[in-house]
Amino acid sequence: MNSILQDLYERIGLPRNASREDIEQACLRLADKYRPDLHPGDPVAAAKFAQIEAAYATLTEPTRRTAYDKQFSHADTPVAGDLRRSEHLSFTGTANEYFRIWIVNLALSILTLGIYSAWAKVRRKKYFYGNTLLNDAAFEYIADPKAILKGRLIVVTTFVVLSLLEKFSGTNLFWIVYLGVLPYVVIKAGRFNATNSAFRNVRFRFGIGFPPQTGWSRRYIAGYNKTSQFLILPLILVPLSLGLLYPYYVYRKRQFILEHSAYGMTPFAFDAHPGAFYFAYFKAALLFLLFLAGSVVTIGIGALPLYILFAAHRDAAVGRLSWKHASLGDLRFNCHWRTWDLFKLHLLNSLAIIFTLGLMVPWAAIRTARYELQGLSIGPIDAVDGFVAAAQEQVSATGGEAGELLGFDFGL
Amino acid sequence: MIEALFHDGKSSQQRNVLIYADPPGHLRVIGDGVDIGYTLAEVRPSARIGNTRRHLRFADGSHCETEDNDAIDRIFSDVRATKFDGLLHRWESRIGYVIFALVLAAGALWAGLTYGIPALAKQVAFSLSPATDRMLGQEALAGLDKVFLRPSQLPPERQAGLRALFAEITTSVPGAADYRLELRTSKAIGANALALPAGIVVVTDPLVELAKNDHELTAVLAHEIGHLAQRHALRSVLHNSASALVIVAVTGDLGSLVSVTAAFPTLLVNLKYSRDFEREADDFAYDYLKRRGIPTESLNAILLRLEKKTGASRDVPDYLSSHPPVRERAERSRVTR
Repeated sequence: MNSILQDLYERIGLPRNASREDIEQACLRLADKYRPDLHPGDPVAAAKFAQIEAAYATLTEPTRRTAYDKQFSHADTPVAGDLRRSEHLSFTGTANEYFRIWIVNLALSILTLGIYSAWAKVRRKKYFYGNTLLNDAAFEYIADPKAILKGRLIVVTTFVVLSLLEKFSGTNLFWIVYLGVLPYVVIKAGRFNATNSAFRNVRFRFGIGFPPQTGWSRRYIAGYNKTSQFLILPLILVPLSLGLLYPYYVYRKRQFILEHSAYGMTPFAFDAHPGAFYFAYFKAALLFLLFLAGSVVTIGIGALPLYILFAAHRDAAVGRLSWKHASLGDLRFNCHWRTWDLFKLHLLNSLAIIFTLGLMVPWAAIRTARYELQGLSIGPIDAVDGFVAAAQEQVSATGGEAGELLGFDFGL
Repeated sequence: MIEALFHDGKSSQQRNVLIYADPPGHLRVIGDGVDIGYTLAEVRPSARIGNTRRHLRFADGSHCETEDNDAIDRIFSDVRATKFDGLLHRWESRIGYVIFALVLAAGALWAGLTYGIPALAKQVAFSLSPATDRMLGQEALAGLDKVFLRPSQLPPERQAGLRALFAEITTSVPGAADYRLELRTSKAIGANALALPAGIVVVTDPLVELAKNDHELTAVLAHEIGHLAQRHALRSVLHNSASALVIVAVTGDLGSLVSVTAAFPTLLVNLKYSRDFEREADDFAYDYLKRRGIPTESLNAILLRLEKKTGASRDVPDYLSSHPPVRERAERSRVTR
């Protein structure tokens, strides 16, 4: 198992290539310094002594030392480009473990007629967050399942009441409410997800302006102005422009999400140019045409692989573009997803799911998370230490659940 | 002694610490510049989920992160709040319980998809007014007329004869009084008969010509009226949306890309529903034919000829087909007789 304590070599003040004799001598010297009999009742000295003991046990035994060294061989390889000392995220989840969690979640959700699904969602997210490591610390998901259940009940009731009202009154009530409530939902969804995600005990945040403007109406109006781009662009302008505005819409959406997100007190920044999104989508559009033509020519047989090729290219290109232009204080991100890798990943996932009637869903989810997360790097890594947390605020889950239903999921 | 990372909750700074559970009922966190004692009541451990790291949240807002899950379990074995999570973890850890969950979930899914959803859809469809069914099909004929269908070329007296056959059936079926027959011809769909939910049966000229006698035409018309009388259009809308919902719930935690995959099981399930409807409509037709004293082979004969003519569905496996194989349908008529 990977020790999450301070590096063993650092503890004894020696480089990684130190000889066994040097290690033994250093350990003995330090052990002598913190000897328990010289510091009776001093817990700090006792802790140091225990750490030295652990280092000695691992580093003077050749097989253990090789195994220990191996863990670091990948983490320390520098990444190309200007991101010196950057580090990849790592993902430690396994298909075996997640399968068990998934199937128990599913069985309990069915048995409770869906009520348990709120707990299932939290358990699933906790598993994926908890297995995502950066610089040896894990991400954490801290949402309360009861809040999610309450949110889901409110959303479902609203939908049922609205559709009934619409039926009897014959108006387009649903759309009026949708347009009126959407900004609220988008912001609430973002806030719920962000505030329940933490790294090193510092929570993420999402909101209009930092600190958020006070007063319900001011926040709502500012939110409406900011989010109207998601209402007007996709609903009216994108179809009117025959889809030509779609890349611009994606660009604005990414920009909106990042510029209103923060880690503790530090906001994210986004410096991409819309032109780059047009370039990425232009190439993706060519692959989409290939998918259409190929599906017809092969009478449907080629549809699945060709669609996956198109989607893999789109996701890889947009992902690389979005992460490369994102920053958080001194930290910069990089994304190494490749079309061909994503294509193989998703093609195999799809085939496995189809031929096992869904039993391989957990396996596919783990593989996808591993590839996507390990393809992200962050640097310079020592800047991770300097972020200040914000005072905590409570956020209800209603917006979050409505947002998920309407297809707004913020994956940060 | 537990090895852990300490984060004070005020910044992202990280410290290496050791946690001592000593004396009992207390925790002491010691490391680089940290030496704090807590009582167990001031500590909230996170749930154990697989082998993910546990977090100990302290009353002062700081927390510890550790991989030593067993040690945490030992320290908090008496704390009630963690009992439920512990139970879940034990369920997930034992292979026997996992298999039990698998059987339970698969059984419930299978039962729900094969019995639950169809029964529920039937209940809902028949409790709604017939007008709801009609709403689905109002525009359908106009749309088909624009694209596929042309007016029938059959001589007027032949058309009148067909209408008489149709009326004979509808008068004997409750609620079918306003069903109507539309005669069309079409290059695109060839010999075919359709039941549109608005109470309309469309029959094409090539199909009329394919029939050797009026018994066979009565059988085909009865089959289509069977679709209408049993509200198959509304039920299939209900089926398809309900089954899609269930399948998305199962495969839901995948990215947008893989959700294409969910379309395939949905398609399989929907094709099964479609085959069930065909059988129901067949049963309706056989039942009517028997009451009229017409041999039930009439339906089988024209179905067989239709299959030979179009050559359709010969190479398609049964589970990928929207209609049951004609052989099976013929056998069924013998059983129901």
